[in-house]
Amino acid sequence: MEPSQNTTSFGFQTVNEEDKQGLVRGVFDAVADKYDIMNDLMSAGLHRLWKQRLVDSLHIRPHADGVLRLIDMAGGTGDIAFRACQRADKLSSQISVQVVDANEQMVGVGAKRGRDNGFGQVDFITGTAEALPVADQSADYVTIAFGIRNVTHRDRALAEAYRVLKPGGRFVCLEFSHMPLKLAQKFYDAYSFNVIPPMGKAITGDASAYQYLIESIRQFPKAEAFMEEVAAAGFARCQFQRLNGGIAALHSGWRI
Amino acid sequence: MTSQENPQEDNADAKTPSWPDAHLLELLVCPVSRGPLTLDKTTSELISKDAGLAYPVRDGIPIMLPEEARKLEG
Repeated sequence: MEPSQNTTSFGFQTVNEEDKQGLVRGVFDAVADKYDIMNDLMSAGLHRLWKQRLVDSLHIRPHADGVLRLIDMAGGTGDIAFRACQRADKLSSQISVQVVDANEQMVGVGAKRGRDNGFGQVDFITGTAEALPVADQSADYVTIAFGIRNVTHRDRALAEAYRVLKPGGRFVCLEFSHMPLKLAQKFYDAYSFNVIPPMGKAITGDASAYQYLIESIRQFPKAEAFMEEVAAAGFARCQFQRLNGGIAALHSGWRI
Repeated sequence: MTSQENPQEDNADAKTPSWPDAHLLELLVCPVSRGPLTLDKTTSELISKDAGLAYPVRDGIPIMLPEEARKLEG
């Protein structure tokens, strides 16, 4: 294949499109084992509340007949999948979750967690969000939490989410975002760039992986612009909600 | 639903399943052709005839990446 001249962002660096996936894989290979601990430290535990908000926003309903299906893109260690199962259990609803993540090591960590905690209704699959190995119109929900900014072609991932959803299905995306309040963003930036990479190095032995994570957060479009991208993929009734002043945002849309 | 016969019982490490469940095989498609897949237990691969690719299954986890797949001859 002819190497393309198209470039994309990898944190603050500009790299060739075909290189990004490998670079991102390197980041997650470096941190897979400690990924969940680092998330706690990086977000002061907030990521747990945000993920719960995502699962709440699915409005998983009691379901008398059939099994609800959720595809979690870039769902590596299973955080969203397990929470969704717990919610469905409470409602006596049956759910089947497939986690699709490009990183084999992250998937391995998630699959082990699933087995250790008895989540038999969750399957782990290595695959990309841009080419989901999932049949058309098979899912009631598609989710992606802190994954979309690592995707090289966001438009393709959004198109795939749309393709695999049933009509009436819902897409929900959780991602770091931007704070509209300039002073708050300034403090948050100072914290991120000065505290997170050294903390990452102390825990995972790899500062550059965390340097990438915070740079990629800054490169990601603002909430309004990303909502336009979700709508451009065909989703209807798109909306977003800022979490904690805009540190993160929850975007959603329906396939109708 | 019928009772789940565990096809992994012969596996030494019973906690690690060798094969994806039947319901998963129905859901999965080839990421290149979006065509159906068939499980080949002898090679531990998911075969996409349309794309001419064989995707490996490692520790029961399907690796649905074209760059990890083996090209089929013919």
